[in-house]
Amino acid sequence: MTTQRRAFGSKAIVDFFQQNGFVVVLAAVVLYFSLTAPFFFSFDNALAILHAAAPLLVIGAGLAVVVFAGKIDISLGSIVFLSATIGMKLHYELGVPSEVSLVIMVFIGLALGAVNAAIIVGLQINPLVTTLATMIAFRGLALTLTGSQSIALPEEIRVLGNARIGPVFIDVIIALVVLVLVSGVVKNTAFGRQIMAIGNDEDTAERVGINVRRRTFMAFILSGGLAGLGGALAMVQVGSITSFLGQGLEFTAVAVVVIGGISLYGGSGKIMPGVLLGAVTLEVVRNGLNQLGADPYLYQIITGIVIFVAIYAFSLQRFQTSTKTTREDKELATELPSSTKT
Amino acid sequence: MISAFVVEMRGISKGFPGTQAVDSVDLWLERGEVLGLIGANGAGKSTLVNILAGLLRPDTGTIEVDGDPVDFRSPRDAQSQGIAFVQQEIATFATLSVVDNMFMTNFPHSGPVIKRAEMRKRAEEMLVRLGCDFGVDDIIETLSTGDRQMVTIARALMSSPSVIILDEPTSSLSVGEKTRLFGVLNQLRDQGVSFIFISHFLSEVFSICDRIVVMRNGVVAGTDTTSSLTMEQAVEWMVGEGSSLTPVSRSRREPGEVALEVAGLTRAGVLSNINFTARKGEIVGIWGLMGSGRTELARALIGLDRIDSGSISIQDGMGLRSQKASKRKNLCGYVPEDRRQEGLFLPMSVQRNISMIGLKALTRLGLLVNKRESDLADKFIERLGIKVSHKGQKVGTLSGGNQQKVVLARWLAVGPPIYILDEPMRGLDIGAKAQIRALIAELADAGMAILVIDSELTELTLVADRYLVMRRGTIVGELDRNSDELSLMSLAAGAKEAFS
Repeated sequence: MTTQRRAFGSKAIVDFFQQNGFVVVLAAVVLYFSLTAPFFFSFDNALAILHAAAPLLVIGAGLAVVVFAGKIDISLGSIVFLSATIGMKLHYELGVPSEVSLVIMVFIGLALGAVNAAIIVGLQINPLVTTLATMIAFRGLALTLTGSQSIALPEEIRVLGNARIGPVFIDVIIALVVLVLVSGVVKNTAFGRQIMAIGNDEDTAERVGINVRRRTFMAFILSGGLAGLGGALAMVQVGSITSFLGQGLEFTAVAVVVIGGISLYGGSGKIMPGVLLGAVTLEVVRNGLNQLGADPYLYQIITGIVIFVAIYAFSLQRFQTSTKTTREDKELATELPSSTKT
Repeated sequence: MISAFVVEMRGISKGFPGTQAVDSVDLWLERGEVLGLIGANGAGKSTLVNILAGLLRPDTGTIEVDGDPVDFRSPRDAQSQGIAFVQQEIATFATLSVVDNMFMTNFPHSGPVIKRAEMRKRAEEMLVRLGCDFGVDDIIETLSTGDRQMVTIARALMSSPSVIILDEPTSSLSVGEKTRLFGVLNQLRDQGVSFIFISHFLSEVFSICDRIVVMRNGVVAGTDTTSSLTMEQAVEWMVGEGSSLTPVSRSRREPGEVALEVAGLTRAGVLSNINFTARKGEIVGIWGLMGSGRTELARALIGLDRIDSGSISIQDGMGLRSQKASKRKNLCGYVPEDRRQEGLFLPMSVQRNISMIGLKALTRLGLLVNKRESDLADKFIERLGIKVSHKGQKVGTLSGGNQQKVVLARWLAVGPPIYILDEPMRGLDIGAKAQIRALIAELADAGMAILVIDSELTELTLVADRYLVMRRGTIVGELDRNSDELSLMSLAAGAKEAFS
């Protein structure tokens, strides 16, 4: 396919597509919606998209850190539900001020992340299996606590859902701050670099002297804490806790990470713009289809297609890098006879 | 008082299931000393230094660093005592930059934030010192193997250690890189840094080490200062008894009909216009320097890489005829250069590995007959003398020589007419090498056509009936079995055209 294109297109254009394929696709989607939906291309709608994406940005950032380490956490949706439930229970039943219970939710998220971490690191159980079990168990626990009843939020928190600073929703600001912070942690701390190294090759990381167990532990705690925070944002947006809170969110978060070009094998990818790109893409599609009054199930079909397109685009990009490598290796190899022993 | 010894290991033992890798070994290291540690494969060198570097814990024995007893539970413990380790397997992280790889366990930081600018500056200085021509921001996966090896060496030097263990550090380095490495090593020695240097290349060890320890079968077979030790003595300690470097004995020398004919084989940028034949019962040595296209030729022959032009004909019972890539795969028994990565299924049993290619013959009505598979494994374990505790043992736990025999056994089970062996003796100890050589001779005597690629010229001359010499992707000459190493080397290096 690429050779065909090369035959009648210039190499620069092909390279640009291979390097930025997915951004091009996203731009095309935005263009399509802008032309077909009258209110799509506006500042207010852009803000609305970011607003809707805010919880996903926070949760996706946490998941990305785990994925960088070559691990996975599919309990995040249940952590959202359970931490929100416990937080609100503390408010209604023990009289904890509602704003304080929002903060407590983050700590509950951290604690639930620590439970995952303890099982994965302490008992050396596969992360997918572990978080599959806690995904079910955490949700079960939350359902027990709520008796499957909805919990309405007190007025003083519910208004936060649409609170703005200037024109911008507060949760958007929180989400962007989280993205910048997590991105900084990944890029500019020993923790971040070592997480990437573990995702490259855990065995090598151990041999080189990285404290793999401690780093992995920290990654799951971080991801749990951000799920607690993202859960608080999601809950406030909805205005109540229903038994569906956070359901399926773990897989949406995986989609965000994948669309953002972060390899599920670990060791590569970026929080910025990766997670932002992933979450915004999903919300752009949802928002646009909504405005067109499309069948709601169409959203799922298109999301599936978007994931495939994203993976394909990034594999093209990857293919380009790897072919470059072999070429250089060959040049080097022919350059000098090196280790011939006689 | 400071101890005279920077490291002192006493009575170190370490056993693995089935072997005693290290058996009450004493090893000491003086300040500013370069200690050479040599021995055949499986002698226990790597196990010993892995213990010193905190990767393995000894069963018994004590370690003192600067006179203080230490108990290393992880590589971090050893690093905190100033012991840096350049491991045999090149330990780099492919998607990360050179500078990140160099500081991986040792990031300079203020608060939680790492100091990028300082890191880059120090890394650049180190790369200049080592004479590396890649940049600190280059991503590891774009570097050659030799460059990656330099990165691991640079990483070890970054932490200003007092002891540096180098386990086969030069295996992928060019001559220039080696020279610079040894230069830096000498500078550091003058500053009081001590080294343990493990290498298979005796000339390297003798040229840079102050003292040499020879290990054999987990014990120290002998030690002496380099100045009073001769290479012959060292080799004797390594081998134990007299070396067996005589050409393999062959029952027949007369090659039969042509089994393989290659005409005009070309693969753009890699191989150009290669023509040769190989006959039944013949061992053809393919000789060339690194990068001459030997492995690439092997891969093209067996159909792993596509070819752009030319034909490859193989005698398959229906006559000598041109074969498609998919057919060649089954007609050529290929033993790859890197048996652990490409040749074996390490977590699987010896039996499963042996039966892997010939599974079809072991089935009845499409179902695998256990008895047949097990009989097949028994047959080849016995015939090749593969040392296993039982045929269900995982291949990953075998020694290199026995692993190589498993790779061969797998092909013997299906019996292709042609064998292509890429570095079949790499990484094996002297005894195992002799066994593999004998096996190769046996195969040829049985009428197979065999191509052998080997970087150890002496080793190649022990088995080959004649030589094809490669340079820059093509065959530059054919030499007969009486050619000496000098003429083979000159031809491969392009120093002169063939002497003959």
